[in-house]
Amino acid sequence: MGILEKITRNVDNRYWNPGVGAFPVKNRYTAGVAGQQFFERLKEDSKIFGTRCKTCETTYVPARLYCERCFERLEEKDWVDVGTEGVIHSFTVVHKTLEGEAKEKPDLIAAIQIADGILIHRLGELDDMEAYIGMKVAAQFKAKADRRGGINDIDYFKPL
Amino acid sequence: MSEKLKVSGGTALSEEDIRSGKIFVTEDSLNCAYAWDTGVAINRYLAELKQGRIIATECRKCKRVMLPPRLFCELCFIPCNTWRHVKDTGTINTFSICHVHWDASRIKEGEDPHLPAVIEIDGASEGMGIMHILGEVEPEKIKIGMKVQAVWKPETERTGSINDIKYFKPL
Repeated sequence: MGILEKITRNVDNRYWNPGVGAFPVKNRYTAGVAGQQFFERLKEDSKIFGTRCKTCETTYVPARLYCERCFERLEEKDWVDVGTEGVIHSFTVVHKTLEGEAKEKPDLIAAIQIADGILIHRLGELDDMEAYIGMKVAAQFKAKADRRGGINDIDYFKPL
Repeated sequence: MSEKLKVSGGTALSEEDIRSGKIFVTEDSLNCAYAWDTGVAINRYLAELKQGRIIATECRKCKRVMLPPRLFCELCFIPCNTWRHVKDTGTINTFSICHVHWDASRIKEGEDPHLPAVIEIDGASEGMGIMHILGEVEPEKIKIGMKVQAVWKPETERTGSINDIKYFKPL
């Protein structure tokens, strides 16, 4: 007893009732100069843009403001329309919700390679047994009225 | 430094840019729920308050009866596991007459001033007191050394909190 008494199982923890509460913590993320322009093109023109560094011959998707390899500033003239098609670089079949409960229908989340970049997105119109690495997919955009200027303006990627 | 390198200087955004939808944002909130663990001694203290009793611990070496109870004596550095019930009467050690709220706003006209006090509980060692509020008393009549007694909430309303005592009133 005394100081030798220890709580060794967290389920034994007792807490002071009025001491239960929550801190309000909110955050707001902006995509930055290049990200903003990338999402504007996605929302307004249904186009996926990248930026190409001529020195490194690399096309970044989503578009970046500078080249990560040579630190070259990427200008307006370096913006390139990379189309709306890509290749599954990797994918995961998600059977559980964020809370850890079983989903009725599994979700497919994939890393989709477009030019030299990767977009993480959902796969749709596709059974989880049908997906494979190297599969060609195309972006399915939401109706224009539903777009908010974010990666979810693309509803999902579907097989070509 | 390379001539190609330009300093962008950053891009300032205003609240208006975001509210008008000109700048796209992702908003989220984190779940920051917390619970404060009372520890072993205060847990028993609160459980006893719910029963309408005040409990303290005694150091077997220096014989101090400590309130609120603690599991070790900070003077002797030894564990304390002797529990003692103390009375619900005591003496005002110090007090304050507050004409402002906790956020420093002035009390409204006709509103009674808040009367926090440190009360040395009978049965606990000298100087062992708990902070509480005074009630059923004219602020002008409060004196240091005044005898007071706890006014408890009805048993059904008690939650295991220091507020299970509504206030202390003069004896």
